[in-house]
Amino acid sequence: MSFIDSVLLGLSLVGNVEAFASLFIGIVIGVIGGAIPGLSATMAVALTLPFTFAMSPINGILLLLGVYKGGIFGGCIPAILIKTPGTPASSATILDGYPMAERGESGRALGMALWASCTADLVSNLSLILFAGWLASFALKFGPPEFFTLILFSLTIIAGVSGNSLLRGALSAILGLLLATVGLDLVYGTNRFTFGDPNLMGGLNFIAVLIGLFAVPEIIAMAAHPTAHLGKARSLGKTWVSFDDYRRSLKTILRGSMIGVFLGSIPGIGAAPAAFLSYSEARRTSKNRANFGKGEIEGVAASEAGNNGVAGATLIPLLALGVPGDVITAIIIGAFMIHGLQPGPMMFVLNVDLIYGLLIGLVVSSVFLLIVGTVAIRGFKYVADIPRRILMPAVLVLCVFGVFAVNNNIFDVAVMFAMGWLGYLMMRAEIPAAPFLIAFILGPLLEDNFRQSMLMSGSDLSILARGPITWFFWAATVLAIVAIVRSTMRPDTQAG
Amino acid sequence: MKLKSFMAGLACMLSAGAALAEYPERPINMVIPYGAGGATDISARTIAEPLGKAVGSALVMSNITGAGGVTGSVAVQNARADGYTMLFARVGSHSVNPAMKATLPYTLDDFRFVTVYEINPVACAVRPGGGIESMDDLVAKVAEGGVTYSSSGVGSLLHLAGAMVLSEFGVENPLEDATHIPLQGGGAAATAVLNGTATFICTNSSALASFVANGQLKPLMVTTAEPVPGFDAPTANDLGKPGLNALVGWTGIAGPAGLPDEVAAKWGTWMAEAAGDETFVQQMTARGSVIDVMSPEDANAFIQNQYEKFRALVDELGMRIEG
Repeated sequence: MSFIDSVLLGLSLVGNVEAFASLFIGIVIGVIGGAIPGLSATMAVALTLPFTFAMSPINGILLLLGVYKGGIFGGCIPAILIKTPGTPASSATILDGYPMAERGESGRALGMALWASCTADLVSNLSLILFAGWLASFALKFGPPEFFTLILFSLTIIAGVSGNSLLRGALSAILGLLLATVGLDLVYGTNRFTFGDPNLMGGLNFIAVLIGLFAVPEIIAMAAHPTAHLGKARSLGKTWVSFDDYRRSLKTILRGSMIGVFLGSIPGIGAAPAAFLSYSEARRTSKNRANFGKGEIEGVAASEAGNNGVAGATLIPLLALGVPGDVITAIIIGAFMIHGLQPGPMMFVLNVDLIYGLLIGLVVSSVFLLIVGTVAIRGFKYVADIPRRILMPAVLVLCVFGVFAVNNNIFDVAVMFAMGWLGYLMMRAEIPAAPFLIAFILGPLLEDNFRQSMLMSGSDLSILARGPITWFFWAATVLAIVAIVRSTMRPDTQAG
Repeated sequence: MKLKSFMAGLACMLSAGAALAEYPERPINMVIPYGAGGATDISARTIAEPLGKAVGSALVMSNITGAGGVTGSVAVQNARADGYTMLFARVGSHSVNPAMKATLPYTLDDFRFVTVYEINPVACAVRPGGGIESMDDLVAKVAEGGVTYSSSGVGSLLHLAGAMVLSEFGVENPLEDATHIPLQGGGAAATAVLNGTATFICTNSSALASFVANGQLKPLMVTTAEPVPGFDAPTANDLGKPGLNALVGWTGIAGPAGLPDEVAAKWGTWMAEAAGDETFVQQMTARGSVIDVMSPEDANAFIQNQYEKFRALVDELGMRIEG
């Protein structure tokens, strides 16, 4: 069967109103779900899943993919407007998105986030169509030793988000690593720092930590100084992202998309590290690096390109190998199975119409995302006009609700407030929160993969340099550290 | 005085109301102790629809996740035993974990099971082309050394299954002779065998079905007495190891220990009705599950039996986790 035949078969499956309507509705649900702090893209997909049982397979899966893509974008709306990431993947967007909103440029930031997201989405989908087989076999080469070196390299991005003081950044990262050790030991299954409380056995809930660290300190600061913000312009204003902004950030967006595609195709990394890595690379190479963290539009573009670049690429291991890349694709695999479909190499033979139908749907989804996103930004822009004395208590309610809803557990709300006070103290001491978060995400992965490698090799360290992939990341790590040391040593440039 | 008597009257009415009114008079909270999209979650949400019809009252499904099902189980353990907070219990949270973990905040005695409705056969598989074609090859390879098996974490069914299968096939010290590699979740555990990180995996057949169908993994055996569709592999009984029949996954529903008899009896009738639903059966069997609705008594006996088997093995091999 020729390529054209396959495409036509796919078109016959999705070339109807229902298929596109499912995709469109999915994106709408996703954007709204992603925009509600605590609901997150994962939860939105999980809640949509039961509705797909009664639908035809292609429509059901398109609906879920729409929710997924919409959710990853939707997370940037509260991240920019109220400093609360709607989904973990959008936490890097806060770094520059929120300062822009404070300056009265939230329209510009949201617009750039949308354009960057759609561009990255398109790149990601095209990579899925063109390089799925190649990327999948590459991803399968990633065992624990390769993961270990990749994550070790990713930890160097801490330097990129530390602001002006590397020491404060490192302190923040150490705090994050420390709190990430709470829970059950991976290899022995023993309790670590749980103090006999079953609530701590699962570790600190990630969403609770995330919201506590970013949103709650703002609220505490507002309560401490209710009038500090007066006189600052804070509205959507008339600013909208210009084509010139987009053109200047295009290189960053494309690089971010590539990083997203690469990390997305490897199972087990997820969108948040991709966003941070893209952000840190953008900062490292940008002419405006001094402005990063203070409201640089390129930072928003980098972060959103990084996380949306993941969204299409996570389907590579799913379709080509039947392996879920993250929690969301694990749920989507469930939808395949409910309909008696088994993702994997055979699907390209048995269900080629479905595969091509999905690919066509995915390409269309980037366009739908642009439409839905534009409407959503216009709808949500009124948030920026709400006076802070009304907005902040509302945000607090939303945070409490969101964190509770993640796990239906009041303990998580307590964790959020505890982290909120920690975040407030860190804010007062000018300790950046982003390194904390990166360490909190990557620390456990680093530890787990190190210990899995040791189990594989019988505690022989040489397994950590067992092949070209590990050598590559070791070299990259060394180069990154050298670059960090050099830029710190030179006082005339902005230290990183 | 007036207030006091009013309060007394109110309390009286409430307690009388609770005793007289037909259970359930308000929505029932159903706790799913595992994450959205996992095997337990999908199973629970699939039965929720016919079950809601049978109950005639809304079922409020909530995922309370963490620590391999412990967090959600504790939430139900500590709830009032009035039948309004029930748990979707799973093999990991309610027979492997209690058997393996000394510091678990609950035991089987803290729960009363009203049903087990789904059985998941367990299959063992390896990567094809690695020279392992049968269980005998695997056991021979273990003797050579360097064999590893992947699991979704310490205290998971997969962890116990790997050790139990090797032990049944005569490997004297499976903990020393084969290395257990815990990974982050069932998907990662299967991937580990695909990319050669681990030699073999024993897990629910549904988790392996697509890999087996695609020829990415080769099944060596299934633990049930009956063959599993799609798995071209001998059963435990074919291999003369009927002792492995106890090694199956399951999903059931439990309440706190003091659950009244009437409530348990009601659940028995509801489940019988709900599990007869055609769409439910069709959706579950498509995922590789066997629908087998047990009465409250049978469910308790089934779980107790599996727990004791697991516990004996754990003690024999010294797998108990004391920390």
